[in-house]
Amino acid sequence: MEMTDNLKILARKSAGTGLLLIIVAAVTLEATSLIQYFSSQRMLKEEASLRAESELRSTRNQIMDVVDQAEAAVHNSIWITRWCLDYPDSLAVVARRIVEENPSVMGSTIALVPDYNKKLPLFAPYVCRTADGSVELKSLATEEYDYPSQEWFTEPLKYGYGYWSEPYIDEGGGEVLMTTYSVPVTDDAGHVAAVLTADVSLDWLTELIGSLRVYPDAFSVLISREGKIMVSPVEELNMQRSIKEYGMGTKDTSNFNSLADGMLSGKSGNVSLKQSRRERMFVFYAPVEKTGWSMAIAIPDSEIYGEIRRMSLLVTILMLIGLGMLILILRSAARNQQKVVSLKEKKDRMENELLIGHNIQMSMIPKDFPERKDIDMAASIVPAKEVGGDLYDFYIRDGKLFFCIGDVSGKGVPASLVMAVTRSLFRSVSAHEQSPQRIVTLMNESITDMNENEMFVTFFCGVLDMASGHLSYCNAGHNPPLVYIDKLQFLPAQPNLPLGIMPGMTFVEQETDLSSNDALYLYTDGLTEAENLAHEQFGETRMMDVLRTHRNAQDDLEAMQKAVADFVGDADPSDDLTMLFIHYLNDMQPDETERHLILHNDIQQIPQLAEFIETIADEINLDQGLAMSLNLALEEAVTNVILYAYPKGSDGRVDVEAIISKDKLKFIISDSGKEFDPTAAPEADVTLGVEDRPIGGLGIYLVRKIMDSVSYERTDGKNVLSMIKKL
Amino acid sequence: MEVIINKEDSVTTVRLIGRLDTPASQDVAQSFEPLMSDAGGTTVLDCSEMSYISSSGLRIFLSMRKAAASQGGKVIVKSISDDIRQVFMMTGFLNLFEIQ
Repeated sequence: MEMTDNLKILARKSAGTGLLLIIVAAVTLEATSLIQYFSSQRMLKEEASLRAESELRSTRNQIMDVVDQAEAAVHNSIWITRWCLDYPDSLAVVARRIVEENPSVMGSTIALVPDYNKKLPLFAPYVCRTADGSVELKSLATEEYDYPSQEWFTEPLKYGYGYWSEPYIDEGGGEVLMTTYSVPVTDDAGHVAAVLTADVSLDWLTELIGSLRVYPDAFSVLISREGKIMVSPVEELNMQRSIKEYGMGTKDTSNFNSLADGMLSGKSGNVSLKQSRRERMFVFYAPVEKTGWSMAIAIPDSEIYGEIRRMSLLVTILMLIGLGMLILILRSAARNQQKVVSLKEKKDRMENELLIGHNIQMSMIPKDFPERKDIDMAASIVPAKEVGGDLYDFYIRDGKLFFCIGDVSGKGVPASLVMAVTRSLFRSVSAHEQSPQRIVTLMNESITDMNENEMFVTFFCGVLDMASGHLSYCNAGHNPPLVYIDKLQFLPAQPNLPLGIMPGMTFVEQETDLSSNDALYLYTDGLTEAENLAHEQFGETRMMDVLRTHRNAQDDLEAMQKAVADFVGDADPSDDLTMLFIHYLNDMQPDETERHLILHNDIQQIPQLAEFIETIADEINLDQGLAMSLNLALEEAVTNVILYAYPKGSDGRVDVEAIISKDKLKFIISDSGKEFDPTAAPEADVTLGVEDRPIGGLGIYLVRKIMDSVSYERTDGKNVLSMIKKL
Repeated sequence: MEVIINKEDSVTTVRLIGRLDTPASQDVAQSFEPLMSDAGGTTVLDCSEMSYISSSGLRIFLSMRKAAASQGGKVIVKSISDDIRQVFMMTGFLNLFEIQ
């Protein structure tokens, strides 16, 4: 009781230490990830601002190119305008030239200051491009337009230098976004005489600004000097609302106002705006000189920090999993200590677990043997304790039987675990290998790699080609199997080293050929070393005596089991006992091939038989003498058909079929002639002397002599003669 | 199948070249007709170049043998291959002919 309490305290103490450990680990992990998070965030923000600024700069440069072009077009025409002031009619020519020579200029006017020319108090010829590309001359000196009151006219006169008007939608010229650059023109006397203008289309701006994509979800805005939104992704706002008006409706009015103020005052900078409860965005802005415009790029925070946010979420999840596992481990450690409390309970559970272990282990071993014509198998595995270290396994792949038997050093639970690993390894390694030597070598590498408990496995692995009977095998320190090839004997097997002893070990592969009814007997030393009460071993002699009578696999196995049981008697089993017996039957007559020859009932076709036989003889390597005999038998049989089954002059055919198998050749000669049984002819007497010897009757005699069996059948109106020659 | 007949004094040598199968026998039988009607001497059947013989060929050999026997002549079969010797053995011809 006291001990139990102590253990509980110990468990609690250890749980307390565990908790502290968890807290320290959690704090350390959290701090590390926070530091990493913030430093990454700062770097990403810097990168975003660099990218936005470079984008702003390059866009501004593109805008300035057009602006400079328009300004140059106007400035270059000032002197000629001055020169033409006295000839108002020629001013239209100057305006026309500005339009024609500058593709970005949509229209130009030279508007005289009212009353500068006494004869023409208001004079403003206006040249503009029409929709079809031609150039048209109009007059702006109309009463309703009243050009002297227009911004483009008043502003440059007020400041005395070039002025970019607020952008506007040109109602007359196809609803395009326009701005006008206007400069005052003084005469030679220095009096302000006229305003020279160029209308510049801003349609390209929409495209230029719209195409800015620093980040997939970023967007750009261009505002005029007065704060009017010129270009933005929201079309309803463009040229309709000012940035200040727009700012009123946003969530983060104060920050938006500082953005608007910054942009309107022609500065550059950046502002972080709250978009919604969770989302913020970063806005970078910069002025477009001369025009007084300001441009801004807005990038949602999620765009800038998305990657690192996803990463930090992942890190947090992993951290939580790690902590969870730590808690579980500590709890189970604490519980394990509490477990010592009940030894009885433990023993019961152990036995139960051993039973489960036994069942699991047995379920890993194949117990269903394939019912096949080419192999006949039987196997058994009897552990000395609940669980054991013996194993066997087999399976069929690509017409090959892969099989193995093995014995793990030691007994009981540790051996059973290694047995399970070995069996899994055999399956996984042999799945991609055909050679037992490769399988054994790879398994040895894996087992030596993880072998900290110095356990080893004696192992024998074979691959039997079921069609040919070819057996390749590799032994790793296992008892050499017995084979029945002509007689019962040990299969010559290099001992090699067991698996798990030495990495990089080279194993020797060996091979032999099994014929029909040969057998292979694999076993573990539990068989030969089975002991009776007098501590005598069953031994190889007794084992071989049992197998000397050659039966089928199951009967052999049962005979062996009975012999061992009789010998051991009441003694406890000392070791696991495993046997795997394989009988090679090869009753499949595999590789049967057929050859066909069709002849007409014409003696002249007989030589074709010689070629037919020659082909077959080449194919299966028949010796010349046998080939000649077969040719002779066929010729005699076919000649009989041609001469006797078909009446002279009738047309018929003779089918010759050859069925070639490993151990015999079968010829079937059939025809549709009248019933004729060559085998019914009396046996020729070859002992008669010259005088008594009849001339004929030798044909069928030769057929019978050459072939091992000849039989005639009349079926479906056909004569069918079957002849078999054993090889 | 080629048959070359060479007669020197009372010895007629017949060279059989090629395969003496059923179709060949029909021609060879014709070549043998004059020999059979004049078989009183010695007829040597030179088989050194004969690679095959069927029962119809054996019939010619036997007919020749019978003709010689009835006319007091003799037939010598010369240089048969092992394979053909096999056929002669099966059919008891080894006992009917003088084989050289």
